[in-house]
Amino acid sequence: MITNPNAYDLIVAILNAIGVYNIILGFFQEQGMEYLLRIVIVLVEIAVVLVFVLLTVMFLSWFERKMFAVVQSRYGPMVTGPRGLFQPIADGIKLLGKEDIIPATADRWIFTIAPYIVFVSVLLVYIPLPFGESLILSDLRVGLLYIIAISAITPISILLAGWASNNKYSLMGAIRAVAQDISYTIPLAITAIAVVVFVGSLSTVDIVNAQQGYWFWIIPKWFIFLQPLGFILLLIACIAEMGRIPFDFQESEQELVAGFFTEYSGMKFAMFFLAEYAHMFAVSGIIVTIFLGGWTGPAIPIIPIQITSLIYFMIKTYAVIFFACWLRDTVPRVRIDQLLHLGWKIMIPLALLNLLVAAFVVTAGVI
Amino acid sequence: METETLLLNMGPVHPSTHGVLRFKLRMDGEIIRDCQIVIGYLHRGTEKIGEMKTYLQFIPYTDRLDYIAAMPNNYAYVKAVEELAGVEVPQRAEYIRVLVMELNRIVNHLVFMGSLLLDLGASTMIMYGFRERENALQLYESLCGARMTFNYIRPGGVREDLPDGFIPKLNEFIKDMEKRIVDYEELVNGNEIFLMRMKNIGVISAEEAINYGMTGPSLRGSGVDYDIRKLEPYSIYQDLDFKACMRREGDSYARYLVRVEEIRESLHILKQIVDKLPEGKTINQRYNFAPNTGAPSAVTSYFPRIFTPTEGEVYSRIEAPKGELGFFVASDGTTKPYRVKIRSPSFCNLVALPKMVVGLKIPDLIAAFGTIDIVLGDVDR
Amino acid sequence: MIGIIKGLIVTMKHILQIGNRKTVTVQYPYERMKVAPRFRGRHAVDEDACIGCGICETNCPNSTIQIVKYGTRWFPEFNLGMCLFCGLCVDACPMNALKMTGEYELADYSRESLIYGPERILFKKEVSK
Repeated sequence: MITNPNAYDLIVAILNAIGVYNIILGFFQEQGMEYLLRIVIVLVEIAVVLVFVLLTVMFLSWFERKMFAVVQSRYGPMVTGPRGLFQPIADGIKLLGKEDIIPATADRWIFTIAPYIVFVSVLLVYIPLPFGESLILSDLRVGLLYIIAISAITPISILLAGWASNNKYSLMGAIRAVAQDISYTIPLAITAIAVVVFVGSLSTVDIVNAQQGYWFWIIPKWFIFLQPLGFILLLIACIAEMGRIPFDFQESEQELVAGFFTEYSGMKFAMFFLAEYAHMFAVSGIIVTIFLGGWTGPAIPIIPIQITSLIYFMIKTYAVIFFACWLRDTVPRVRIDQLLHLGWKIMIPLALLNLLVAAFVVTAGVI
Repeated sequence: METETLLLNMGPVHPSTHGVLRFKLRMDGEIIRDCQIVIGYLHRGTEKIGEMKTYLQFIPYTDRLDYIAAMPNNYAYVKAVEELAGVEVPQRAEYIRVLVMELNRIVNHLVFMGSLLLDLGASTMIMYGFRERENALQLYESLCGARMTFNYIRPGGVREDLPDGFIPKLNEFIKDMEKRIVDYEELVNGNEIFLMRMKNIGVISAEEAINYGMTGPSLRGSGVDYDIRKLEPYSIYQDLDFKACMRREGDSYARYLVRVEEIRESLHILKQIVDKLPEGKTINQRYNFAPNTGAPSAVTSYFPRIFTPTEGEVYSRIEAPKGELGFFVASDGTTKPYRVKIRSPSFCNLVALPKMVVGLKIPDLIAAFGTIDIVLGDVDR
Repeated sequence: MIGIIKGLIVTMKHILQIGNRKTVTVQYPYERMKVAPRFRGRHAVDEDACIGCGICETNCPNSTIQIVKYGTRWFPEFNLGMCLFCGLCVDACPMNALKMTGEYELADYSRESLIYGPERILFKKEVSK
């Protein structure tokens, strides 16, 4: 079995390059605790990803507000930091200082734990997400399946949050969120399978590697050009998965006040907030990985490929996020039954058709 | 399986009830089985206040009825008082009155479009609407010193003449609006999601709409050609060329389109007024309700300011942006009205809402409610 | 689909600020919009012209105004917490002594501090020679 290099190997390689790896390894071997070194390195990786997620969430919330403001002929946050860049920090401090209210009739235990389940389940998606060449926490051989499976935890925790709040709006928001997530996970999975049929592997790194190279020296070998229908389906399903306008039924502010987190305040609300933006980035990363060639791009001499690939990945991901925000600024929300209608009666048949065509093409050996 | 309906109290504090309105909904899952409207959270006893203030003092209170478009409220009350007392109004004052009222209709419909789209989840349109509204409000500010609560129209004319540079600014506004309205239509009208949300939602037939006492654009959306500006032309409307916008469908989209079309018509009216605006006095000199701008030595000419119509009663109505606005004023020959009754369009239009939404879903309630275009200050009075 | 794309183009025009679609808001506490000369804000009383007659008091719809003694003379006192800013007092003043200034930032911490006595609203008109 060939495993693709991951971040652990990268850290070891860097330590080797500066010549300290053997010294550290020797130190740990003397103590007879070689496994401790592995644990320390993994902990470092986790810390890096956590910091990255927090910074991304901060930047994204600023970016979205700013973009929203520009579309609406406003300035947006301007006071804290240059062009209001530190506004998310101010928001975070404010949320930390808020009273942490638990309604008297709420189910205290579930109410408290639900936001953390949401956040952790979103963080887990980052494990098989390839940020760049060998910049991946762990290249699971079932990466794509893992992502879809982990995403299915989120609706459960949202249902928990909505149920435990003991509020009618929360409950309705939670039910809507679950209905939406279930009906959009299916087309998402089917369109992803259509790509897997081409690649022959569920590993996210393999999917990216399969998209390297060019047709006719110009068109990159991204799956978007092979399956444009699949890309559109995945994009719609992913926007629904993110829970953003036009599909933001979990919140649907004008109908259900704030949906499933109506009763939440303070740090628990911040957890939902973090989870929402972290999820947005992760889902955009998945779209990029599956259809937009992941971290592939023209290599630049001198600069190591790890850095250039990370930059390419970021550019593509932010392009997807930009599109999602742009769409949010433009369109109204669809109705919940229209959404389910779209999901079950239009997207799933189209996704199956897409899969059928892909399977036919691969079996016939056209590509 | 045994199921129960869910009683959902929507409001009085809810993001999309346009103020403090409360719906008592009986829900079967997402479907509305019964809808009761509970009003009165903003009741201020305006009609009673009218009996306790002099005729002139009550005008600022009418501003607070429909605060989105206050000028027609001013005018409707003043018109009733003028009919009661038989006050003659100079021609220039009439033109200025219609000018400010039609401008207010545009302002009202901009707010309507913005808040409707906001209710549907598209939050960009409200900022665009408010951007143009700001220009109109600045015109008002330069005209009468206030942006929303004008207190501008007086028995016998208007408070002050147009300030310098008002007409060029108005022309600029008209030109700007004509461009922006194309933007709005591209942003909103053809949007498939918007159409999905609006078409065949909240349908009310012409007959039902009349039975419920709906008026204004909401009624014209159902295919009834009922515009008081046409039926009983008041002020200078008979000299102006405009048409009462009407659609036959009776659904939310028709009511929306009628209002968009009315913005165009109002712009058309404004252009005519700018062309025709006559010179002359802006207030009947017998009634010195305009501010004292002369030298303090001319004191005597400004007395008395007490206004006492003869005994009698009058009901007068106008076409406000939201519908038919009527004022019933009864005088007993003293300085204060004996009775003031307000027939407000928002209240009468709101009554038809349960008829429209039973059997639909909560998002449809929001959409249908948004297209009725009410203001709670006008409903509760 | 076409309708949504049209809408997306409109919003993109705003992002790129094509064709008079500029940012219109102002950074309020740092920059302020100019108020119109007729703006109805806080009242001001011409110290020399006011005769303390109380006509403004009777004309006020909301009993905002009270005539109080200030020094040796009588002047109006405004309870701005109750004021409608309708301007009827200005219209009524026989001596043309009342005016409304462009000052609109009147929020305060207590109701008492919203009562503007003569010491805060009097002004002296500059006499041109």
